Amino acid sequence: MERERFEAIVLPHLDGAYTLARYLTRNDADAQDIVQDASLRALKYGDGFRGSTAADARAWFLAIVRNTAYTWRQRQTNAALVTEFNEDLHSDAGAAHDPAIAMDLRQALDQLPLEFREVIVLRELEGLSYKEISEVTDVPVGTVMSRLARARKRLQKALT
Amino acid sequence: MTHPDFEAQVDLYLDGELAPSDARELEVHLVQCAECTRFRDKRLALRAAIKAQIPALRAPEALRRRIQTQRRSGARFRTTVVWRTLALAASVAVVAFGGWQLGVQRGRGETLASEVLTSHIRSLMPGGGHLTDVQSSDQHTVKPWFNGKLDYSPPVYDFAGRGYPLLGGRLDYIGGRSVAALVYGRRQHVINVVLWPRDRDPRASAPAAQTRQGYHVLRWATPEYSYWAVSDLGLSELQDFERLLLQADSAAAPQPR
Repeated sequence: MERERFEAIVLPHLDGAYTLARYLTRNDADAQDIVQDASLRALKYGDGFRGSTAADARAWFLAIVRNTAYTWRQRQTNAALVTEFNEDLHSDAGAAHDPAIAMDLRQALDQLPLEFREVIVLRELEGLSYKEISEVTDVPVGTVMSRLARARKRLQKALT
Repeated sequence: MTHPDFEAQVDLYLDGELAPSDARELEVHLVQCAECTRFRDKRLALRAAIKAQIPALRAPEALRRRIQTQRRSGARFRTTVVWRTLALAASVAVVAFGGWQLGVQRGRGETLASEVLTSHIRSLMPGGGHLTDVQSSDQHTVKPWFNGKLDYSPPVYDFAGRGYPLLGGRLDYIGGRSVAALVYGRRQHVINVVLWPRDRDPRASAPAAQTRQGYHVLRWATPEYSYWAVSDLGLSELQDFERLLLQADSAAAPQPR
């Protein structure tokens, strides 16, 4: 039972989890550690999952990934504020990224505050509904909407 | 409703989060308001640019393997807890069911992607395959050809002016139903577009863009249709084409009576 359960909830969402972690941390190694840490937590606290649909499972796991990333970042910030200023050294372009494509928008995304970056990734890349995003990020739907609008406004500037 | 309210609704509209009645009202306004239309076009361009420049990623294989190993060792450790929480058996059953649904859903997305690709490859085969049932660059010839063959009338455009001429259409069979396949060209490349009325859960399961066997397969949805496009064309040009279709669909969205 246990194994099927884990396979059903976590394994199908590893790509989404990695995408979210990667854009939040801007760094492959950290993203991998976060996803692994998050899946360990999911395994440990799996009984806390009460949803019944596929979308519920995804939102539940992505919320764990997101919280793990925030904790991770908090720890790093406490350990060395320098990390934050050296991000250019850490961040490498996505493996799937076409080097021929201009990096403007990607850079603009990387410069967004975390709470803007995550709504863009969840909405535009992972296709979550507003309600699901509100569950993952633990803010009301109205806040999701206003964050999305503000994030898009900033990205739009990078386009023109 | 005032202009700023409408503008605020454009994002909701494009995100598929606007109630149908509000969506219709907004569509009326879009026809009359050049400013809102410009705003919508800017947002469509942003979406296309995000798709092109900010890819969804795949978890590295090494990470996947590490997590599967961790699961096996973790499962042993967890067994006692499971015994202690037998009361939760009911919810576990629910989860297992959710997982099954999820497997089915993802499986379906993958199957569709490979069916769409197979359809594309077969349509290009010399001799055995056929690209078009109705060969015409006239959208007013191609669209009516589907009458009586499908329970929907697919939107057909000619983007010859933008370098993507209409070549024709054919009937195909994908995902267990008859669907419209529209054929567009780009220089020497062929683009197959298949579409059907939007699935109940449009967020499925297959990535928005993927590359298989050297072909690019794009998937997107409008409020009305689920779309797939496949071609050996470069990814960015194929995404430009997707954007053209999105804009055309959005401009042709149902008008009120």
